[in-house]
Parts: sequence; structure tokens; C-alpha cells
Amino acid sequence: MYTRKSFGLFLSYLLVLSVFVLGCQSNQNAAPGQADAPKNGEAAGAANQTVPELKIGLPSDAGPLNIYTGNIDYLTELVFDKLFSPSPYVEKPQPWLAESAQQLDDVTWVVKIRSGIKWHDGKPFTAEDVKFTYEYYRDGPANRHTHHVSEVPHISKIELDDPSTVRFTCAYACPTLERITFADLPILPKHIWENVQNPRKYTDLPIGTGPYKLVEYKADQYYKFEANKDYFMGSPIVDNLVMPVIKDPTAIFNALRAGEIDISARPVPAELEASFQNQANMKVVQTAPLSLIELKLNYEKAPFNQEAFRNAMSLAVDRQAITDTVLLGKGRPGLKGYPHPDSPWTNPNLSTPYDVEKAKAVMDELKLTDQNNDGVRETADGKALAFSLKVPSTEPAWIRAAEMLKEQYAKVGIKINVEVLDSGTMATVSQTRDFDLVIGTIGAHGVADPDQFVMSHRSSYLWNKKIPYPAMDELTKQWMAETSVDKRKEIAFKMQELFNKQPTSIVLYYPEEKFAYNAQKFDQWVESPGFGVINKFSLLPDGVKKAVAKE
Amino acid sequence: MGGSWFSSAFGKKCIQYVLVLAVALTINFALPRLAPGDPLEFFFGESTINELTPQQRQQVEHELGLDRSLWQQYADFMTGVFRFDLGSSIKYGKPVTEVLADRLPWTFLLVAPSLIVSAVIGIAIGAYAAWNRGKRRDLLFLTGMLTIESIPGFWIGMLLIAVFSVSLGWFPSFGAVPIAFTGGGMEYVLALLKHMTLPVITITLATIGGNFLLTRSSMLDTLGQDYVLMAEAKGAVKRSLIFNHALRNALLPVYTHITMSLGILVSGAVVVETVFSYPGVGRLLYESVIARDYPMMQGVFLIITLGVIAANLLADLTYPLFDPRARQRKQVEESP
Repeated sequence: MYTRKSFGLFLSYLLVLSVFVLGCQSNQNAAPGQADAPKNGEAAGAANQTVPELKIGLPSDAGPLNIYTGNIDYLTELVFDKLFSPSPYVEKPQPWLAESAQQLDDVTWVVKIRSGIKWHDGKPFTAEDVKFTYEYYRDGPANRHTHHVSEVPHISKIELDDPSTVRFTCAYACPTLERITFADLPILPKHIWENVQNPRKYTDLPIGTGPYKLVEYKADQYYKFEANKDYFMGSPIVDNLVMPVIKDPTAIFNALRAGEIDISARPVPAELEASFQNQANMKVVQTAPLSLIELKLNYEKAPFNQEAFRNAMSLAVDRQAITDTVLLGKGRPGLKGYPHPDSPWTNPNLSTPYDVEKAKAVMDELKLTDQNNDGVRETADGKALAFSLKVPSTEPAWIRAAEMLKEQYAKVGIKINVEVLDSGTMATVSQTRDFDLVIGTIGAHGVADPDQFVMSHRSSYLWNKKIPYPAMDELTKQWMAETSVDKRKEIAFKMQELFNKQPTSIVLYYPEEKFAYNAQKFDQWVESPGFGVINKFSLLPDGVKKAVAKE
Repeated sequence: MGGSWFSSAFGKKCIQYVLVLAVALTINFALPRLAPGDPLEFFFGESTINELTPQQRQQVEHELGLDRSLWQQYADFMTGVFRFDLGSSIKYGKPVTEVLADRLPWTFLLVAPSLIVSAVIGIAIGAYAAWNRGKRRDLLFLTGMLTIESIPGFWIGMLLIAVFSVSLGWFPSFGAVPIAFTGGGMEYVLALLKHMTLPVITITLATIGGNFLLTRSSMLDTLGQDYVLMAEAKGAVKRSLIFNHALRNALLPVYTHITMSLGILVSGAVVVETVFSYPGVGRLLYESVIARDYPMMQGVFLIITLGVIAANLLADLTYPLFDPRARQRKQVEESP
């Protein structure tokens, strides 16, 4: 009865809807020229001419850039400034929010604050903000900056001498405060942050002093920035930055090719390089990121807790072969060890020799011999030297490197079992230290900042301060007592030498990165060490750009 | 009289669904926590987390509510569900319900038209092919549909992007709306449609094969029935024969299949949403799994569970509308 009618109704409903949908589709087919992405960017990019808009594709999302809810340095620094710039990874950072810094004695510094700077909400920036920020990082909820105020170095007192002068007093010598600490910690507005209850759940858009204001943020979708025309270092040369988050690697390069974005913050993989170089308007720029790919040894476990054994582990790795095979030569082998050789704070004479015979000799001396002739060495009590090597499934190059390590270690009688795990599991593994060996990566903050090298030996990354390490502990003591920058550097060089002889992190290679961009739209990218080309200096006027960027 | 509701077919169904829901919720709670990994790492990035001292870690865990006992978290979750308070997402720092409400419409926008188009076209071609069984056009459709059916969805999506976005530039390759859009209402709708076209086509193509094959085989069954022969003998015209006599009966299993697949309306198309960077529930699920964002995962799983249960309920309740036999059986059962 009603069924026939309702059935007919149902069918015609479906039909109408489908016609509607199809209609819409064909409608769009009929108007192909109106795709919203400009196909051939209007000629722009000449020096000192402002560009109305740039679209930057991001491979990941960093939350609303409030430091406590995720962090990507190059984005955070569009909004926030530091006392000195660009970073601790250069020879001599320039005064930025600070006008000058002066060391009064071994443990005291005074910083004069630049006047006339305003926060994005119009409130004036003051020395109070600096004092608040340093104290907040030190005493508030922990973040990556905390131990650079509370431990290495330890700033015990922060006082205002007058409304524009901040006095920092350290608990022990701090000769590099200006060159490292001041160039590392972004300054927060006191009037906002003193009212934040739980910074981990604080999702308001950030207020900074930086060249760009974040005006819109949609989690996992996009960021939209507007130029801060009153920026104290000069009005930015791009008015608006639109940054869609495109996590899929194929999708982000398709969008770049289709002209929907002007640059991808994801480095171009070697196999796509040529296709971008051949495309009109496109350029490919190479940068040397201050990062490295490392094989981490769990120094808390036997036999990795033995210095001589770690020495043998390092001697057995043919880093050149790994780079040649896995990276097709595009990258540098880790022949200079840890930290990154491009950092001004790294000993230029470090080396990590490859010597199979010596590795074997060292293990023989340790009484790690192959007693049952199965090709794998055993400890005195008969336990085979068989270890698991954990690698994240998201990094094909690392997996190939792991397979090569397996072969290389087999040559010296060590058995490696490669385990490929999802990134969530990998994270827990390295956090709980439930591993023998893992492959991972670490960026500029970890491998170009000398304070972090010391800190990593205390925080458990490279060593744990609760475990005695007499030789290193002695050097650390000297380092902390040293009051001159140069002499401290010398001590740091000795620590690095010691580290690489018996490393807890074996550097496999230093990656290279290439970025493809639409040069017709914008061609003024400059590299800032540790930040790549997408950084605030690229977007600032010529004079400022030259002062801080890498030549 | 009091017990009659519980003993009625509808009441029984409801109790059954409540039970299913309770079990599903418990599994939803347990699964994320059984997986190795925890949210802290994602929250800070690996290098930062390794720099935190154990005390600092504990402090962060406390701030995020991860230090409470499992039972406590379970109790909070179960009571929260009924108050529609699913807690706060660790990754997004916002209430889970708010994030979900933000994503659901986008998923509906993609999946609803895809399912409809896929059903209508799948059924039409399926019926046509069955009627022309064994002829060249039937074979053509059959091989074509089998081919499409066996192509993975993400690959269809990538092909469409390569052709229509990169080469021809007709459609955008990512996102749901143009970012920083300043145009007016009509332009906005147009841009919206433009953004959804390729993903909709992708999901349609990925699901159309199933509808086609099911309709075709069901139709073949029906066409062999005596009553169709009878109708033909009575002199029914071809159109009436196909639509009124054969297809109507053949559609019953297809209808069930389609209603059940409505469940994916909410879970969305994880793969397609990822390929097109579309901000739907599917991609949200993927993101929260990667981030080990327990409250968010629970929220998404809950929505999927509810979606599947609702789709089942819908199929159960509306089936009699289409099949008079089910209706009559019910009357027979319910008569004293």
C-alpha cells in the first residue's frame, strides 16, 4: 500500500540528490579556469618589494604555538623573539629584544632592553616580561627551556636594576649566557601568561613581539599569519602567510607542483629533486640542517655500560658505506661524530675511525669471544652478544641503515636483530629506555648547543647524572667552574673527544635537506643555521636578513 | 502491562543495543591503552621529552590527568559518556566533543553524497547488466566494475590528484575550504564543492563496485524466479518488468548492505581524508592514534560505535517498509 509509494519516493529522492551532486560536479568541470590556486604567480619577489601572500605547506602541526602545547622552532619564532638572534648555533648572535648585554663578573650579567617595542596586542614590552619569562621557564611547568635556566646554566636570581635593565645572577660561572641562553629562550608577555592556569591546555592564539601575528589556526588544517607592520626590526616583506598542514608526503609535493603552495617545509626527497628542477618557476635550494641520524646505545645495560665495549661498537660501523648505499651519497657520513660538525661549538678535530680488526681486538681483550664457534661472541658466562635494534616504521632510510648495521656487526661477531616499530611505540621505547639499540634523530638544539651537550649527559639522553662516569664527571666539573668562554670551549672539546671514543650515540650520518619553491612568487629565502630556509629572517628586509642569516 | 515494553520486539532490540554499546564502550576504553606508547612523547617531541627529568615527567602527567588509576579513568569515561562529557583532548587541548563537532560535518559532506551516488549508479548499472546477462555490455560492466573494485581507494585519489589537480589544475588537491577565503556566500559554496569533488569521486568509485556486484547477482536470482516469468507472460512491459517486478525484490539485500554501510558515515574514509588532507573524523582518528591521545581516540571510537549501532537499528526498523513479508511476519507474531 504505502510501500510502493514510499519506495518510489525513496528512489526519486535518491535520483534528485544524485542529479544535484552530479550537477554540481559538472558545473565545476565547466569552469576549469577558476581553480582558486594561482597557476602562474604574479611576477614578484624583486628585492624590497612586498609580496601580498605566500603559501607554505607544513608537514606537521605544532598546535597554537604556545610553547607548552607542541613546538616547531621556525614557526614559534615568527611570533616570538629572543633577547639575541638568530640562535646559539652561530658564532655571534646579534642583540634583538636586548639592546646590549654586559658581563659584570663571572656570575653576573646585565641586559639592557630595547625600548619602544610593543606586543601584538599593543601593550608595551618591558624588562618585567624578561624577568617573568626566565622565572616562568625556571619555576613553572617544565618545557624544553626549563633546564637552561635551572641547571645548565643555573640562573639563581633575576632582578630589575631599572625599568629597562635586567640583572641575571648565576649559581656558577656562566660565560656563555649572552651567546647561548639569551639566543635560545623566547620571551613571553607577562600580562598574558601570569593568568594562564594550565599552559598545557592553553590554546589561545599567541601574543608575541615577532614579525608575524598568528591570526587564525585550525588544528591539523592551517595557520594564517599577518605581518606585524610595526616590527621593530623592520616591516616584513610578505604581508600574509598561509600555511596549510599537509601531512601526506605525496600530497604536499603534488600541491607544490600544482601551484597551490609556494614552498614545502618538508624537504624534497632525492628522487623528486630533478622533477622540480625541471619545472619552470621552480628552484631547489640545499641546506645543511644541524641534525644527525644516530644509533643510540643503552648505556644503562651491560655490556653497553662498559666504555671499551662502546668503543668496539663504534669501531665496527662503516659510516661511509651506509651513506653511500642508503643516501646514494646525498648526505655526509658521521665521520666526525657527535655533536654536529657545523656547530661553532664542536671540536673540528673529532674523528670516528672504522677499524674492524681493532674492534675485534678490543672485544677479545674484554673476554668476549666466540666459544661455541657459531660466529657470535659470548660473554664469560656464555651469553651471546645478540641485541635488538629498534627502528621506526616511518623512516625507510633508517630501516635500510639498520639492515646494513646488522651485516657490519655480524663481521665482528655481534648479532643484531632488527625490529621495526610504529612511531608511538618507538617513542615509549626511548622514553622508558627499554631497548638495546635504537636509531633516531636529533636536531639543532641537541647537537649544536654546547650547554645541551652537558645537559644531555645529565638528563639521560646521552648519560644520566645518577650514574657515575668519572672521566666525564671530572671534565663537567671543570667546565662548570671555568669562567672564560674560550677555555670552556677547550674543555668541551675534550668532553666531545672522550664521548666519541666511547659513544653512547654513534652518529651514522648528517642529512642534507633540499627545499623546492616557486621562485617567481618569492625568491629571497635565506638559510638560518638549524632553521632551514623557512625562518623569520627570510621574511625580513634585506639589511636585517644579511646581519643574521648564513651566507 | 509494565513488562510488556521489555518483552516487545522493539524493547528487546533496545536492550540488545544497550548491551552492545556497553561492551563496545569498554573495548573503546581498553584498546588505546593496550597499545604501546603514550601521549607525552607526541606532546613534546622526542628530543624534548628526553630532556625532562623524571619529576618533570610526573608533573606533566599529573597536569594531563594521566597519573590517575585506570579504574578511575574508566569510571570517569563511562559516566562522562552519559553526560556527553568525553573529557579533554590531550593533543588539541579542547573538549573532545568540541573537536568532534568540528569534524563531523566535513565527514558527512564527503561520505553522504558518495554513498548516495555510489548506490544509485551501482544499482542502476547492476540491474542493467543483469538484464543483459552474458551480453557484451554485461561483460564490459562486470570487468570494469571488478577492476574499479580492486583498486585501492588511496590510489584512485592519487591518480585523480595527479590528473585533475596537478596536470589540469581543475580542482584543488587538498583541504576542505580555501584558506583565508574572502569571497561571499555563493563563491564560498562553489569553492567548497570544488574541494569536495575529487574526494567524493574517490569514495564513490571505491564503493560503487560492491553495490554493482550485489545488485547484479541479486537481480540475476530474481530474474530466474517464476513470478517474473509469470509477469512476462502476462505481457508486462520491459520497464515495469525490470523495476516493478524484478528490481524491487532484488533490492532487499542491497538495501541492507547500504544501510549498514551508513555506519562509515561517521568513521569517514580515513585513507581518502588523509590523501586529500580533509579535516574529517577519519583523519582525526588517524591523528589521535599517532598522538596516543586517549580521550580523543575514545571519542572517535564512540562516534563510530554509535554510528554502526544506529545504522543497524535503522536497517532493522526500516526493513519492513521494503519487505512486506517482514511486516506480515511481525503482525503474525504480535497477534494474540
